[in-house]
Amino acid sequence: MKWSLFYPELFYFVGGLAFLCLSMSKRSDPRRDYYTALVLAALGVVVCLTAVNREGFLFLNTYRVDLFSQVFKMMLSLGLFLIISICSELKTISPRHHPEFYFLLFVCTLAMMLLVSSVHILTIYVALELSSYSLYILVALRRDEKMSLEAGIKYFIVGIFASAIMLFGVALLYSTTQATYVTDMIRVLPGMLATPTVLIGLLLTLCGFFFKLAVFPFHFWAPDVYQGAANQATAYIATASKVAAIAILTRMVAVTGPGSIYLVHALVTLSIISMTLGNLAAIVQKDLKRLLAYSAVAHAGYVLIGILSMTSAGYASVIFYAVALLIMKFTAFLVVVKVADDGRNLEISQLAGLHRRSPLLAMALMVSVFSLAGIPPTIGFTGKFLIFAAAMQNGYFTLVLIAMINVVISLYYYLLILKAAYLQEPQDEPSPLHLSQPTAILTGVLVVVMVVVGIYPTYLFELARAAAGTLM
Amino acid sequence: MEYASFPYLTAILLSCVTGLVVILILPGERKAQIKWVSAVFSGITLIISLYLFFAYDKSQGGLQFVESIPWVESLGITYFNAADGFNLPMLLLTGIVFFTGVLTMWELDYRVKEFYAFYFVMVTAVFGLFMSMDLFFIFIWYDVSLFPMYLLIVVWGKTRKEYGAMKLTLYLLAGSALVLPAIIYLYVQSGLNTFDVTILMRPDTFTPGQQKFAFILLYIGFGILAGVWPFHTWSPVGHVAAPHAVSMVHAGVLMKIGAFAILRVAIFICPEGWQHWAQLMAVLATIGIVYGAFVGLSQKDLKFVIGYSSVSHMGIVGLGLATVSVEGLNGAVFQMFGHGIMTALFFSSVGYIYDRTHTKIIAELGGLSRIMPVASTYFIVAAMASMGIPFLASFWGELMVFIAAFKAYPVRGALAVGALVVSALFMLRMVQHTFYGPKNEKYAHLSDVPFGLGIPRMILLIVLVAFGLYPTLMFDMIETASVPFINGLLQ
Repeated sequence: MKWSLFYPELFYFVGGLAFLCLSMSKRSDPRRDYYTALVLAALGVVVCLTAVNREGFLFLNTYRVDLFSQVFKMMLSLGLFLIISICSELKTISPRHHPEFYFLLFVCTLAMMLLVSSVHILTIYVALELSSYSLYILVALRRDEKMSLEAGIKYFIVGIFASAIMLFGVALLYSTTQATYVTDMIRVLPGMLATPTVLIGLLLTLCGFFFKLAVFPFHFWAPDVYQGAANQATAYIATASKVAAIAILTRMVAVTGPGSIYLVHALVTLSIISMTLGNLAAIVQKDLKRLLAYSAVAHAGYVLIGILSMTSAGYASVIFYAVALLIMKFTAFLVVVKVADDGRNLEISQLAGLHRRSPLLAMALMVSVFSLAGIPPTIGFTGKFLIFAAAMQNGYFTLVLIAMINVVISLYYYLLILKAAYLQEPQDEPSPLHLSQPTAILTGVLVVVMVVVGIYPTYLFELARAAAGTLM
Repeated sequence: MEYASFPYLTAILLSCVTGLVVILILPGERKAQIKWVSAVFSGITLIISLYLFFAYDKSQGGLQFVESIPWVESLGITYFNAADGFNLPMLLLTGIVFFTGVLTMWELDYRVKEFYAFYFVMVTAVFGLFMSMDLFFIFIWYDVSLFPMYLLIVVWGKTRKEYGAMKLTLYLLAGSALVLPAIIYLYVQSGLNTFDVTILMRPDTFTPGQQKFAFILLYIGFGILAGVWPFHTWSPVGHVAAPHAVSMVHAGVLMKIGAFAILRVAIFICPEGWQHWAQLMAVLATIGIVYGAFVGLSQKDLKFVIGYSSVSHMGIVGLGLATVSVEGLNGAVFQMFGHGIMTALFFSSVGYIYDRTHTKIIAELGGLSRIMPVASTYFIVAAMASMGIPFLASFWGELMVFIAAFKAYPVRGALAVGALVVSALFMLRMVQHTFYGPKNEKYAHLSDVPFGLGIPRMILLIVLVAFGLYPTLMFDMIETASVPFINGLLQ
């Protein structure tokens, strides 16, 4: 067996084990845990980088290592590293739970890495559940037990409901196609999509991934979980978890080849409802994390547009957009974590005076918000542009127009965030926010990356195209 | 096409970007330095755009100073800048308004660093849009020029600023929501995998049906920014709310972006759509001219009067574009230039008066010409230009448009000229109430414009008169682009 293909996963497995051991030690030492996690996560990025060009199959061909999976593993490892980098002040998690917190983060990342490489329906399911269960606990770990337990249970119930539906779909698919390998499905499915059972089976299977991505009608958990979980855990759910969901959804839809008109219609409907509902609900939110939750629902809708194009260009645009989401969402959460330095939930009005408290954070917030809204010259715009171009290649003009109208709606609440940060002044004299040097550098790098990749997307786009090429 | 020996056009952008970076590096307390840096870098852009205007070889025509670098090859995006008879007047206009805008805000004391940073971002994008020949970049510049507006108005603005800023931003980005699908539609339908305007504008690239469809989307999308009736309502509200320099750039240059993009993108690429929708364009433009004039008549706020006169004057630009003729295009582009300078002068003068009197309600002023004769002169000259007095730059544009309009649409042309009389009436009324009549003792202690602070207005006034006395300079320039373009259509 070619173990070298499996190095990234093994690394995160070992990382998880290390924290399992640490959690058993009697002495709780948050500094030690934090630096261990940071170093391990940084090493993880390096390991994933070295594994980027690997290709091959593992475990009776149920596990495929290709450029597509490796690019997503890169994003996941980067996501984990970024999240851990803002965990230096984990005030809402009791110090004795810190090793568990990192343990769950590592296990969840491991599970997502397994997920993006799985090409057998059962391994997909197992990996999906492993990542979900880690997240359920992560959400419930917050000190404020009432809110976080409620969020955790809500997450759990919607999650197992989605899993049950997914399993039913898998059963239907298997009963009609007798295929469990994704490679078999690619051969069989395109010809059978006209059969109602196959179509329903496939759609129900996709529900499991819709839940992860917070696509309507599986989005109900998002606002409560975002609000209830610790800020860092929310950031992880909003970035890495979404990236993995995009990967597996893309892989499953790519199975259908050119797709069928019914499948496309179903996805178009979900996409339009997700975008519109997410954006409209976000307008009335006062809590910044809830607002970002609804904006995540809207972004799930935009992602679906790229996926339902069912062309190589569409999948490439989705991969590009996944990177964009990772960076811009993370930047927004970085601001949330730093401004709410005692770990509380952040109201939009509490951003008041940010431009004086920390001009750098205010600028980072501005760029990330414009990026989320899809205003050039940011990576978010370029991602949306590629998605829309791919959809237009297939003639979905109306869909693109609806998406653009949604962009305008979303701009309203994004501008309100900016207004709070740049115009409103807090009641009492604001204290300047002190950023440590590494954080300041990280913030600056993120801003530069968002703008530079937005203006000059060539390299990332070529990488995304190559990765999408391995799907079909 | 003649490639540039030196990248003058990129130099303009780089000068803006360098200025922006220097402003960002300077600490916020050093306000004077920030202003000087802004003045120097905006001055450089003005000098380069002046140089380009006079260095352009009119006998040869076509695209000159071309810079073309493949940007994203697999998508056919090119960094493609060029100058021709249409955009050189616009670049010059931007340079002048940019520089004078920086000087107009010389007395600014509140969050100076951020103001000039956003201001530079906005103007960089305006320059970029005027010089770009690639649809992708045109869209990027278009959006980038809009988003700093929100913060510029909401932080430094005045009357109903939050409402005005939100309305303006949402309206203009709703326009871009129509433009982006249209641009991607053209890109996909051409099948050429390019965003290059010079390739997409070749005849027979698009069927008449595609051209009609794309044209109307682009026309409405860009038209919102150009203040086309009935999508103009953001414009007076936004202009009133914005700080003076932003009003100058916005009414003086940004609205021209809309009209210019209609010309560069919609008309260049979809000429058959243009001919098909010309009737509608003429109707909307005429309504805009008449409506702007009549609503302006009843306004009590100086800035509102100017705002509505902008709607009216931008209607004249639209009418010129709608005539599908060389005279119409010449007039429209000249009018864009003339109106840009004139409005900048207007807002700059109002800014000076407002900073002293803290009011821009006409009824509360009065007799100002006795208190500050020089400041009043600037304003009155702008008002005269707005009325279309001969030998000021805006006269020639209007004249050409009306000549063309009478040929193409006699009734609408007559209505528009009639409205001009009304607008003359409201301008005269405003001038009378603000500057003549009994002196308002409350303001008697105010001093007149010192020489230094008067420089921006002086520059604008000189330009207004120079092009008014010597319009050939501008017409020869525009004709190098309009004549070949219309001739190409007729064949």
